[in-house]
Amino acid sequence: MRGMDVVPLASGVLTLVSATPVVGVQASREPVRSLYVHVPFCAHKCDYCAFYSAPPSGDVIDRYVAALVRELELVAERCRPDTVFFGGGTPSLLNLRQWETILEAMRRLNLLGAAEWSVESNPATVSLDKAKLWRSFGINRVSMGVQSLDTALLERLGRIHSREMVFRSYDVLRAAGFDNVNLDLMFAIPGQTMELWQRTLDEAIALGSEHLSCYEVIYEEDTPLYEQLAAGQFDVDETLACDMYDALIDRAGAAGFRQYEVANFARDNSSGGDYPSRACRHNLGYWLGEPSFGIGPSACEFVDGVRSRNWANTNLWIEQLERGRRAKEFAEALGPVASAGELAAFGLRLNAGWRFDEFQSRSGLDLRIEWKAELEELVTRGWAEWTPERFHLNRKGHRFADSAAELLLRPEKT
Amino acid sequence: MDTDHIRNFSIIAHIDHGKTTLSDRLLQRTGTVADRDIEEQHLDAMDLEKERGITIKAHPVTMYYNAKNGERYELNLIDTPGHVDFAYEVSRSLSACEGALLIIDAAQGVEAQTVANVHLAMKQNLHIIPVINKIDLPHADIPQAKQQLEEIIAIPADEAILASAKEGIGIEDILEAIVARIPPPAAPKSTALQALIFDSYFDTYKGVVILVRVFSGELRPGMQVKLPNSSKTAEIKEVGSFNPKPYTRDVLTVGETGYVTANIKTPREVKVGDTILDARNPAAILPGFQEVRPMVFSGIYPINTADYEGLKQAIAKLQLNDSAITFQTETSAALGFGFRCGFLGLLHMEIVQERLHREFAMDIIATYPSVVYRVRKTDGVESSVDNPAFLPDVTYIDQIFEPIVKAFVICPNDNIGDIMSLISEKRGTVKNTETLDSRRVMLTCRLPMNEIVIDFHDRIKSITRGYGSMDYEPDGDEPSDMVKLDMLVNGEVMDAFSCLVHRSKAEPRGRAIAAKLKEVIPRQQFQVAIQAAIGGKVVARESVSAMRKDVTAKCYGGDISRKRKLLEKQKEGKKRMKSIGSVNIPQEAFIEVLKS
Repeated sequence: MRGMDVVPLASGVLTLVSATPVVGVQASREPVRSLYVHVPFCAHKCDYCAFYSAPPSGDVIDRYVAALVRELELVAERCRPDTVFFGGGTPSLLNLRQWETILEAMRRLNLLGAAEWSVESNPATVSLDKAKLWRSFGINRVSMGVQSLDTALLERLGRIHSREMVFRSYDVLRAAGFDNVNLDLMFAIPGQTMELWQRTLDEAIALGSEHLSCYEVIYEEDTPLYEQLAAGQFDVDETLACDMYDALIDRAGAAGFRQYEVANFARDNSSGGDYPSRACRHNLGYWLGEPSFGIGPSACEFVDGVRSRNWANTNLWIEQLERGRRAKEFAEALGPVASAGELAAFGLRLNAGWRFDEFQSRSGLDLRIEWKAELEELVTRGWAEWTPERFHLNRKGHRFADSAAELLLRPEKT
Repeated sequence: MDTDHIRNFSIIAHIDHGKTTLSDRLLQRTGTVADRDIEEQHLDAMDLEKERGITIKAHPVTMYYNAKNGERYELNLIDTPGHVDFAYEVSRSLSACEGALLIIDAAQGVEAQTVANVHLAMKQNLHIIPVINKIDLPHADIPQAKQQLEEIIAIPADEAILASAKEGIGIEDILEAIVARIPPPAAPKSTALQALIFDSYFDTYKGVVILVRVFSGELRPGMQVKLPNSSKTAEIKEVGSFNPKPYTRDVLTVGETGYVTANIKTPREVKVGDTILDARNPAAILPGFQEVRPMVFSGIYPINTADYEGLKQAIAKLQLNDSAITFQTETSAALGFGFRCGFLGLLHMEIVQERLHREFAMDIIATYPSVVYRVRKTDGVESSVDNPAFLPDVTYIDQIFEPIVKAFVICPNDNIGDIMSLISEKRGTVKNTETLDSRRVMLTCRLPMNEIVIDFHDRIKSITRGYGSMDYEPDGDEPSDMVKLDMLVNGEVMDAFSCLVHRSKAEPRGRAIAAKLKEVIPRQQFQVAIQAAIGGKVVARESVSAMRKDVTAKCYGGDISRKRKLLEKQKEGKKRMKSIGSVNIPQEAFIEVLKS
């Protein structure tokens, strides 16, 4: 099984959670249709960020690019991507030459041509040359980490860009021919009032992007923001956060966006499909439990029923790939019940919820029967709707998507 | 040895007044322990005893002393616990003695504990030899100590021996006084065996080791003896004394103290206060001790419910060497399975909890302590209630009587106002105020025991910045307007917080617990009402507002395993929570409130 060269490194952290043999290895030799590439570099780490990234230094980016190409070579045979996502970190931080190296390698490995190919970018690092290069290789979607359009709040979050850079970069992307742009926004930032949030929301909507991803600030351990909260420098106002979320749903809806996941909104030219036409197909794949390769330090993948994660330490990851093997720090294969539970739990984040037939075809289990009690409980709590064909969370339920997920998760029967 | 040459005595002292140092000096001076073997605090065997500077269990030590009159004497020092919580141990030890050394610190003077213990010794008609210790200290005030001796304890000051155990001053005088002033054991009326059991402990190899004072007859290995209380007959395997380590002897004779073993494996068969008699020629039973009755009760629960069996074994083991602990199983909706334990007093409770923690590595949580109430029902039937859960319905209660203590509080003059208001806050009355010296006064007061179980002692210490001291003795009970305070969450009673309180205290206490609970109960998906209620009447209310959301917005491919595990952990955590009135409350929340 190529692509599953599991290498326990120094600490030997390698956990194959279940002894269950990977389901249907033979049948699953079909190509993996999704590819995630992690670019672990940031010019400056934001105060809220717990993702793996490191400031670039010396030749580490060049060595990273070479190792990434190596890892692409290792997965290419199984990979025929319909969707590609370059996330980070800050993928846009790579310079033109480095991008060219990666993109040429992908051309050589026959990995171009994805129907949806997204790159995350920081407004401070987008240039017209880079944007044109992306377009010329088939990258067709850019997700811009705007977070806020308020100067003081951008500083509060430790972002390096300004509101002017957002507008300039947006124009650059449009000029380069990108017709599918996402803007990431954040709410419930310490110091953010409802008025400030609505102003940012209005200005972002006025830009006319195809997609909005809006997150409430989350306080993850080991982030400066968490430390500040723990030190009592500010309080979390849950009521305000809720009101901001409500305002978001109302405003985005009024502006023609259709919400399709807890935090995601897209324009829709479809005539009533489960998901809006500009929904991020790559991310939909995650919520629907579809296989995906993940390459680059700390990247996760889900292939042949095994979810695994690359070493987060960039240097260690590079060293392994320089020896020609992938560097996994963790792998688990859930049994059929646990993985169905996970599928049920994460799929409910989608507004469309689960069509019963679809859930059954993906998991082999009937949601209505196996999770009857839990579904009834969710309906009793007033969080969900149960129709003959599907089960989905309602507007209130979306605010409790974590509790709903928790309810649906199941341990594997032993 | 003949009884004329035997002296049995104990030492009474306040903590830190030098009892242990003096004991060590006596052992050294009589050659019982070689100088080089003197380690600090010889008699306090338990780590906890050494650390707290208190003696919990009584240890008898036999010494031989060549007096100035040329005669050789056997001196039996029966150590006593210093604290009145252990009054029953004190009185047991004292019952094996004819006299006692009363140690007073020359610098500190008479303390509350001294007074309480002297009262006990006097009740037993012991001859008391006052020793003013630590006279070498620069701030020693001997005249004042003498004055306090006369005025507070009513012992002629000229009887006092001046000593410094640390410097070895006055040790000779003390030994001579023991010989000269303490009467020898009374001559027995017959030769039939009567040996009073004043303590026992369990030894893995020898079984129950019984500590005795022989009042008549003698004890030898091979004798058939009878324990009237359990009707047990046994053959004496070994007799001996302590020096302070146990050593075997051929015989324990009239007036002597020591130990016997008889291959008894069940501690319950040996009752402290019982008399060992000759199985073939049983004499009369000596008057024993008053039955030990626990004064303070508290529920003890394992923090980890899986430790229940371990806790049970740990308490049972402690009970082998501390028969004053009582326990029976108890269940609480909030805390699961645990034990209702009875203690002699607060210090005893604290020590047992600490020993469980230290010697058995048990993580425990104790519920709000309760004293024992006498409840008279309308049909005239009386019962003892040590657990609020078993209080009869109010409509059947005619009267509740609460236990009262007589407390001695010694404090610096400057703090007298604050101490008086503390006493009145605790529903107490000051009966007498005595000036001890230019700096201190002693207040004798009556207080409901219920009021001193929580923080009385700590408050005295903090008001007086450590200079105050307090001790107490039981003083009957009184009718009182006690009510049962319940804490409810969404209408359901949380049993761990129920308590009996005086009506005047119910509302403030209810308010305080409700406010604390509000802090620790996590928000739920619905509003949670916290109420304090007396009977059906709500006296305090707080609410925890409903959680409006719990979702963390971001969740993509990289997060799924991590997020799933996080949620699984939460789910697992909720399983361990106690669900009361459909409110999930983590056990830590209960612990948090019970600790405060």
